[in-house]
Amino acid sequence: MPTGKETHTDQAKPHRWGMVIDLDRCTGCEACVVACHAENNIAVSNPEEAARGRVNHWLRVDRYYEGQFPDVKVKYRPVLCQHCDEAPCEPVCPVNATYHNPEGLNVQVYNRCVGTFYCANNCPYTVRSFNWFDPQWPEPMQLQHNPDVSLRPGGVMEKCTFCIQRIKRVEESADAGSRPVADGEVQPACVQSCPAEAMVFGDLNDPDSKVSRLAGDGRATKLMEELGTKPKVVYLDRAR
Amino acid sequence: MAEHPELLPYGIIREDLFRPLSRAGSKWWFTVTVCFLLVLAGLAAWGVQLRDGLGVTGLNRPVFWGLYIVDFVFWIGISHAGTLISAILRLTDAAWRKPVTRAAEAITLFALMIGGLFPIIHLGRAWFFYWLIPYPNARLMWPNFRSPLVWDLVAILTYVTGSAIYLYLPLIPDMAQLGAHNKPWRRKLYTTLSLGWTGSDREWHALEMAMKLNAVIILAIAISVHTVVAWDFSMSIAPTWHSTMFGPYFVVGAIFSGIGALIIVMATLRRTLHLENYLIKRHFDNMSKLMLTMSLLWFYFTMSEHITIWYGNEPKEMGVFGQRTRGDYAFWFWTMVVVNFVIPVTLLGIKKLRSITTAVIASFGVLIGMWLERYLIVVPTLVTPRLASATSVYSPSWVELMITVATFAAMILLYLLFARLFPIIAVWEYKPHSPEEED
Amino acid sequence: MFLIAEYRSKDALVEALLALKGAGLTAEDLAVFSEEPIEFRKGILDRHSNMSKAAVAGAVTLGTLATWFVYYAQHNYELITGGMPIFSFWATGIITYETTMLGAVLATFFWFLWESGLIRRRDPEAPIPVIGPASMSLRVKCDSARADSFVETLRRTGAIKTERRGK
Repeated sequence: MPTGKETHTDQAKPHRWGMVIDLDRCTGCEACVVACHAENNIAVSNPEEAARGRVNHWLRVDRYYEGQFPDVKVKYRPVLCQHCDEAPCEPVCPVNATYHNPEGLNVQVYNRCVGTFYCANNCPYTVRSFNWFDPQWPEPMQLQHNPDVSLRPGGVMEKCTFCIQRIKRVEESADAGSRPVADGEVQPACVQSCPAEAMVFGDLNDPDSKVSRLAGDGRATKLMEELGTKPKVVYLDRAR
Repeated sequence: MAEHPELLPYGIIREDLFRPLSRAGSKWWFTVTVCFLLVLAGLAAWGVQLRDGLGVTGLNRPVFWGLYIVDFVFWIGISHAGTLISAILRLTDAAWRKPVTRAAEAITLFALMIGGLFPIIHLGRAWFFYWLIPYPNARLMWPNFRSPLVWDLVAILTYVTGSAIYLYLPLIPDMAQLGAHNKPWRRKLYTTLSLGWTGSDREWHALEMAMKLNAVIILAIAISVHTVVAWDFSMSIAPTWHSTMFGPYFVVGAIFSGIGALIIVMATLRRTLHLENYLIKRHFDNMSKLMLTMSLLWFYFTMSEHITIWYGNEPKEMGVFGQRTRGDYAFWFWTMVVVNFVIPVTLLGIKKLRSITTAVIASFGVLIGMWLERYLIVVPTLVTPRLASATSVYSPSWVELMITVATFAAMILLYLLFARLFPIIAVWEYKPHSPEEED
Repeated sequence: MFLIAEYRSKDALVEALLALKGAGLTAEDLAVFSEEPIEFRKGILDRHSNMSKAAVAGAVTLGTLATWFVYYAQHNYELITGGMPIFSFWATGIITYETTMLGAVLATFFWFLWESGLIRRRDPEAPIPVIGPASMSLRVKCDSARADSFVETLRRTGAIKTERRGK
């Protein structure tokens, strides 16, 4: 009888994936947003739908403006699924389409989702998006689909997965080579594409990983931590 | 049947209450046709939605719940009409409720059937709705019983079962009486439904016991059902949804809207079925007083909710509060307060103004107000997410509006059919227990 | 044999019932048919009912079964959601409550069908009097030997009509 648990024979302890985003380095260029779209086969919207609030950004860059022109300061914050350890989106799904896997990821099971929207309403970060129609890609965009990522039908919720397909691929090759996963070997598309190297991804269970060290930095904060969601994305506050 | 002059009043009662079953005027046919066409249009709209996806609605990120959920809560609320009247008044032996019980119980059952459709209609992949039901399957998966939506399923199924039984039980003696009176297909229908009822004291005793027990149980069910529906919101951490008061607040609102619906139905039946001798001013007076009480209770809850939000001054909640009282939804909010509180208290609280007409006016106001209240609970919160960058606006599309209208048409249609097939006043409950007793 | 007597007055009917019971008949032999329920004071025509007990039994059964099922299902395919325990009574208690109520409702309904006699096979010999508005029919089951005396009792207490059926 399946128990939903996964086993890794090579690891002494299962991975616990986390991310650190340095807000001081972030320039708001949104390369990460584009990379995410490309990697994860996200449906392309159009101007009418975008005006109605229907763009599927799994990762978005929030802009906060201070002051008036010409003394405007802009602060950027990339917001993605925080993969909360006590995610409010998980217990409310009536069909178990979203749950917490043993590696700490909040996983979305597309073929189980019936589209009740409860998870999206309960996410305080509003990181979940919905496929309002069967996704379309203008020719020839459909040729650049990532074969590792399933195409979601209309009526299904989706969100950032920490590029679980890349995690799986690295874990499989590590298993095949009978070696542990190296720090920095797993790079989600956003982390890989950031020109300022503002994003770091790794195993929080490994105390020597770059992510663990940065997560203990003096500038480390979490978004809306007071809600008790226990997010696993750490933001390093701007130095000034 | 015995023929004695002193029995004429009872014969007249039965004749009056059974007459609507045998003849229907052109008005009945016209209304049924219009409602039927509206229902078809609603089904067509749903068909468009099933074919093209939820994108045909006005929903977006972050407003993932809209008109369908508003309608869901509204209709489940209306279903509390029967429960209050039948159960509470039956338990307190209030004799005036007798002509009103079956009409109320019918409202309950149909409102539940309609309201129970909305959790399916609003789904992104509605054809998989049955995955919420635990059944052995090839995926070896079960639904998530921790989810308030699964609680909804269990609660509503229980309530529908209870209401159907509660409506059916007192129908049995009337079915036996009708068994001899009608066209062949109806005769067959009535005799089957009467289960061979003979009117023996053993049967009556069992029936009365069952009714008494059911009244208690259905009261317990009804309170829990609307609490569970309320908990769809309270269990969430969205600003102003996460309120400890939502359970009782929704139950009060449900009973409130239920009485409003009941008054309208009673007034309509009185006019169209010529039941002026059976639904008298005293009934409307009592129901008006009930509605007045519920209006005051509703106001108390709404005020408590908003005053604690305002005084607490928590930023995210104040965002929603501002939207409701001063922002985009201010007009609807204050309209709601006027039709839910100011008008009913005035029209029903001042004795001189209280009449059947004003009760109906107040009731229409209450139905509108309570629908607005559900809207104001669902949408303003979603429009003001915790991270302001994710905000959007919501305007319902024609699909949502068509389906909403169709459900009202469906309710009227079901009711018209019911009133044609079954006596809307329980004949046996209405008559006194012995020939010498007067009502 | 069966005797059927028609009454118009509740007091007369009560007198008849008491007289018949005094003559040795029990509630099992007597049945009153009417188009609306007739309330008798305690002691005249008591019918013992176990319906409340059945309701409670049904409630407890279904509630326990449903709770056990939820426990079983949540452990059968363990999925962690929101850091909650695999089975939490608080998270699923409402299901226990609702199914308890459902059990009570269903048990009451089916017990009613049984206790009223609606789904039981009726005695094919027993005649069913035709009832009309405000008329009450009393059916008495007795030996043909004592029929005459019972008919006399019925007439004496004010029966409008009496007839005998069967042997």
